[in-house]
Parts: sequence; C-alpha cells; structure tokens
Amino acid sequence: MIMATLILVISTALFFFYIQVTCQKILRRKFDQEYAASIVNANRLEFPAVRKALEEFDAPVDYARLRMTLRCDFLALTYLLKNAGNLNQRYSHEERLLIMYGRALFFSLFLRHLLQLKEKPAVLKLAAVLQYFANIVGQRVNRVRFGNLAPSDYLLSL
Amino acid sequence: MRPSLFNTGIQYACYAAELGVVFFLGRRSRLRDEVWLAAYLAALLGVGIIRSYGLYSYGVNSIQYAYSYWLTDVVLALGAFLLVCALFRRACSRHSRLWATLRTMLVSVFALVAGVSFISLSKNYDHLFSMFIVEFQQNLYFACLVLNTLLYLLMAHLESTDEQLNWLVIGLGLQFSGPAANLAFMYLAHSQSHSGSLFSYLSPLCTLGMLSIWLYAVARVPSEVPERVSGELAVETAALRPLRAARPS
Repeated sequence: MIMATLILVISTALFFFYIQVTCQKILRRKFDQEYAASIVNANRLEFPAVRKALEEFDAPVDYARLRMTLRCDFLALTYLLKNAGNLNQRYSHEERLLIMYGRALFFSLFLRHLLQLKEKPAVLKLAAVLQYFANIVGQRVNRVRFGNLAPSDYLLSL
Repeated sequence: MRPSLFNTGIQYACYAAELGVVFFLGRRSRLRDEVWLAAYLAALLGVGIIRSYGLYSYGVNSIQYAYSYWLTDVVLALGAFLLVCALFRRACSRHSRLWATLRTMLVSVFALVAGVSFISLSKNYDHLFSMFIVEFQQNLYFACLVLNTLLYLLMAHLESTDEQLNWLVIGLGLQFSGPAANLAFMYLAHSQSHSGSLFSYLSPLCTLGMLSIWLYAVARVPSEVPERVSGELAVETAALRPLRAARPS
C-alpha cells in the first residue's frame, strides 16, 4: 500500500514535470528575428512592461491588476493566433498545448496568491508564453503581408 | 477495457504516428543508427495488431484477450527498458568511461528485472489476473520511469547538445509516468471500474503523446552526428585534400 502510494505520487509529479519540460522546450525556440515587438505595440499589450518591472525592479505585485492585465493579453493573443494571418483559422498542436499550459499557469498564479506564496515565477512563465504567442503572430503577419516579395519588390509593384 | 470510438481513434492515430516516425527515420537514412527506436516502434505496432486480433476474435471479456493484453504489456515494458539502455549509450557516446560504469549497472538492473519478472510471472501464472499483474506492471513501469529520469538528469549534467535525444527522452518520460501513476491508482482503488476505465483512456493517450513528441523530434529537430562518425569524416576529408589539390581545375 505504501509503495503504491509512493509510486502514485512520484509518477504523477513526474508526469507534470515532463509536460512542463515539453512546454519549456517549445518556448525556447529561436525566431529568425524579433517579431513580438510590432504586435505588442500595435495591440498595446502590457506583458513586456509587467515582466520588466518584475525582472529589473522587483516591484511589489498588485495581484488583481496583474491578473487582469495578463488575462487580457492572453485572450487578445490567443484570438490573434487563430485569426491573424492564419489561413486555416485553427491552432496548431504546439499552440493548443501552450494554451493549456497558459491556463494551468493562471491556475497556479491563483493558488500561489491563495497560499500566499511568491507569484513572480508563475508571472514570468506566463510572460514567456505570451512572448512566444506574439512572436508567432508577428511571424505569420509578416509572411502574409509580403508573401514571397521583399519589401522593395512590394513597393515597386504598387 | 471496453473499446469505444475514442479508443479506436487513438489507436489509429498511434499507428499513423508510428508510421510517420519510421518514414522520417527512413527519409533521413537514420534507420540503421536508430535501430532500437525502430525495434521499439515495430514492437508497438506488433502489440497493437495482436491486441486487435485478440479483441475481435475472442471479445473484450474473454480470458484470451486479457492474457494477450497484459502479457504484451510486459513485453512492451521490457522493450522500453532496453530502449532506455540504448538511449543511455547514445547520451554517453563522448564519455566512454562513464558508459563502461553505466553499462555494468544497466545490465545488472536488466538481469534483476528480467529475473524477478520471470520468476514472479511463472509463480503467479495460474492467478495472473488478480491484483498481481497490476502491481507487477506498476513496478516495471516505475523502474523504467526512474531510469529515464536519471537519463534526463545525466544529460542535463553532461550539458548534452543532442536536442533530438532530449526530445526522445521527454517522450518516453510521458509514456512511463502516466501508466505508472494510473496502475498505482488502480492498485489502491482495488481495480474498481472507474480506475480501470481511466487506464483504458490514459495509457493510449500517453502513447500518442510520446509518438507525437518523437514525430516532432525526428521530423523537425536535427540529430547530432556522433563524435565517432564526425571524426571518421574529418579523417576522410583530410586524406582527400591532397587529391583535390592535385586535380586540374
């Protein structure tokens, strides 16, 4: 009985560990250029400011505002992910997994707040997910806008 | 283990993913290098066919199907153990002394697992479908999970740059941890119907998760050429250099 309980606890923990490792490895993907900045500016997303405040100044966290900010950015980016420059209007498998991971992180943020634990690690992980989404959207928009044309070719064709 | 549309869908998705992994391995001419991976995939495919045959010939509640299901699961778990050993070898391709130590340890662990499996299966063959088989499988999967996690930690310690291997290990981790947790839950719940039905969903889903990760690994992630091969190529290139220089342009 004790052995089975031990196996249940350790295996469940390792199951979630491997899922988290999978998500973190997807998030570490390198893009050929920084696409996120244009999407962040165009849609007035706030997560880079939140991340900067936490990383550089270690500012105290206003939980209610932070949660609302991240939630709004998450909703905006998941909408754009499906509808902006996406010909299939469908999430890929990676995106679905990361959306679930994002929701799990929101739940973790809520639990951390409830148990009065540090919220910073969960917020930084959420910001990394949002940064990845912004990069994907930016990459798609960039590809659709010009197709195979270089910007100069596009201008000459006008 | 009642077959449903969902289970059948997962089963066919698994077959498609297996074929996809083999296709990409073949396309990159890596079937010979990844022979253990190909063998494990072949075992997965074979087990799927045997189980389907048992299911459609004898029915879901028959003793024949139960025997084919659990005994093929034991074969799969032992095959997975050998695959983990092969991945250990690949991770230690640049550390021959470490591999010599690990090889002895892995052979001892495999002999122990195989010996204990053989003795306990032969002793309990008459009452195989009591809680014995659940406990036995749970221990086997857990041993594989611990070894796989050790491999993951070893790779992190050695700062391995083999991304494909990293993905393969993560996939295997999912494949072992889900069923190990579920079998332990079944054992604690004394094989009540809800724990059994959870197993019938979770186990194929974990296999599909592993195969999807492997498919991504072999299709998208570049494989690192082992040191030995790159060394041979360097020697060949050096040997060809004077010939190239002498060739008229």
